[in-house]
Amino acid sequence: MKNSTSNMELNRKGRTGLNVHRTISYIMLVLLCFLCLFFFYILIINATRTNNEIQKGISLLPGSHFMANLKSVLNNSTIPILSGLKNSLIISVCAAVLSTYFSALTAYGIYAYNFKYKNLAYALILLIMMMPTQVSAMGFLRLISSMGMKDTLWPLFLPNIAAPIVFFFIKQYMEANLRLEIVEAARIDGSKEFHTFNTIVLPILKPALAVQAIFTFVCSWNNYFLPALILDSNTNKTMPILIAELRSADYLKFNMAAIYMTIAIAIVPVIIVYFFLSKYIVGGVTTGSVKG
Amino acid sequence: MSTVSLKGIKKVYDNKVTAVHDFNLEVADKEFVVLVGPSGCGKSTTLRMVAGLEEISAGDLLIDGVLMNNVAPNERDIAMVFQNYALYPHMTVYGNMAFALKLKKIPKAEIDAKVKNAAEILGITDYLKRKPKALSGGQCQRVAIGRAIVREPKVFLMDEPLSNLDAKLRNQMRAELIKLRHRINTTFIYVTHDQTEAMTLGDRIVVMKDGYIMQIGTPRQVYDRPESVFVAGFIGSPQMNFFDGQLERNGDSFSLTVNGVSVPVSEGIQADFLAGDIQSAKVKVGVRPEHIRLATAGTTNALTGTVDVCERMGGEVHLHLNTGSGDVVLRVPAAELTDEQQDSGYFGTDVGFTFISRHIHLFDPETGKNLLAQS
Repeated sequence: MKNSTSNMELNRKGRTGLNVHRTISYIMLVLLCFLCLFFFYILIINATRTNNEIQKGISLLPGSHFMANLKSVLNNSTIPILSGLKNSLIISVCAAVLSTYFSALTAYGIYAYNFKYKNLAYALILLIMMMPTQVSAMGFLRLISSMGMKDTLWPLFLPNIAAPIVFFFIKQYMEANLRLEIVEAARIDGSKEFHTFNTIVLPILKPALAVQAIFTFVCSWNNYFLPALILDSNTNKTMPILIAELRSADYLKFNMAAIYMTIAIAIVPVIIVYFFLSKYIVGGVTTGSVKG
Repeated sequence: MSTVSLKGIKKVYDNKVTAVHDFNLEVADKEFVVLVGPSGCGKSTTLRMVAGLEEISAGDLLIDGVLMNNVAPNERDIAMVFQNYALYPHMTVYGNMAFALKLKKIPKAEIDAKVKNAAEILGITDYLKRKPKALSGGQCQRVAIGRAIVREPKVFLMDEPLSNLDAKLRNQMRAELIKLRHRINTTFIYVTHDQTEAMTLGDRIVVMKDGYIMQIGTPRQVYDRPESVFVAGFIGSPQMNFFDGQLERNGDSFSLTVNGVSVPVSEGIQADFLAGDIQSAKVKVGVRPEHIRLATAGTTNALTGTVDVCERMGGEVHLHLNTGSGDVVLRVPAAELTDEQQDSGYFGTDVGFTFISRHIHLFDPETGKNLLAQS
């Protein structure tokens, strides 16, 4: 009898403790949600308000100038937004495709084949991964200038063919998910090496490719440093450069509404990419953490 | 015609480890040869060299008399079934089976007919539209076999295809493989570590250890006349029992002493010893569990032991005896024991046992070789 009473007390204490723990957890999660989403919300709200309304202070309710702001931004001849969107899309998509495909190809070569100096090649790629872009920027700029590629989009996505971080991630994924027996089975079936890579290996790597494509896309989309160094003419500029130009424009003509609207337009493609490929982000990042 | 010749095949890895030493084997047309041995004995490496997945360090591999050492796997006209099935996960069962045929640019109608025919043989017609992740282990293995069958190769290579299946399914698939073998009637080279699979499937068995061939023979030859202690112990379940003994030759007759007890040697074995000019020597005596009998009361020259474990196997009982100098396992028909003896009455009992004289194997304790094989 005494035992069952003390057990009940223990259960009650346990339940109370659990509820307190749960309450604290929920409060923290709500706070984090707020911190993540609040600024997006304010961005959308301010894109619907005028410059004067924005300068008066924060509002949680949308304005009525969405279309006016949109027209103003799209018709601004000094800041060609549509052209900027197009350029950013071209660079980001090409960078994502090139980096994922060629990094997968490199990772496959290192993973599936044994050749002399393989380990050295792997170590070299990892070493390059440690080098920040800024260190090689000046040398890169001189190179592309001498090649007549300055103020073109090519240098902004072609170098993504060699992407050490993407290579490393895909190689880790391969080690956990790609059994070499499948490659051997394909060889015996009569598939040539390149055909095996394209028809057998790449489909297996889909989650990893999706994750890296998203990350590369977003990284390229948001990249300001290299495009600012390379691109001169208005028609070639990307969205980050155009947004920065809007920000640094003449104070008298400073239009916060236009800036908010431009940023809102700029994040739409990224949101679309995340929206469609988000399931791969969670799956792809955690897969490879346990060797199957 | 699909013959396979392995002449002096050797495999040495970059780190100087020799996985396969001087492997010589002739596989006849439509023969089912099984490579069997413990893990790491080189059987899978040998199979992979035949498939072209491993480079041959030395020796010649010929298929139908044509040298294949430097020929690509897809040009050797072989098909392989892997232990882990190696199915293409993003393709349906139909896609898996049709893959090789599509690469050969075979017309669609013909591919369809071949795939459906193979699927019918293997009982997987209902699964053609499924992907491998929606299949059980046994179904996956059938698909892997089907993928090999549709290619109509000269040689089928199978690398432990049943190892990943549970015991019941393994037995079932083994029977299916026997039926399949008769149906498609081509040359097979099968690798396994399971001696039961080797004994039931193979026309001939190649027993391997540490990269060497220990014995090649039919299942009966390998079972009844093992050429070494290793083969004798590896083939057969329960394992063969081994005793230390002393063989004495007196003119043209031989006597054998085991644990101080005189053990009769059959006339047939004695004639073989005479022919092989075997002399007196210390020997290792091997006797299979089914060739040991419980001694009846009054039997002279019986070895003795204490019953340690009594395993009821249904139709027979495996008695584990402690003889003081080692453990001995006997296979006793259940009908020869009372119910009480089978249940628990035998534990701790001292029993006598004798050998069936014509089923005694004698090995050199130094080399491990069968005295007759050695001579």
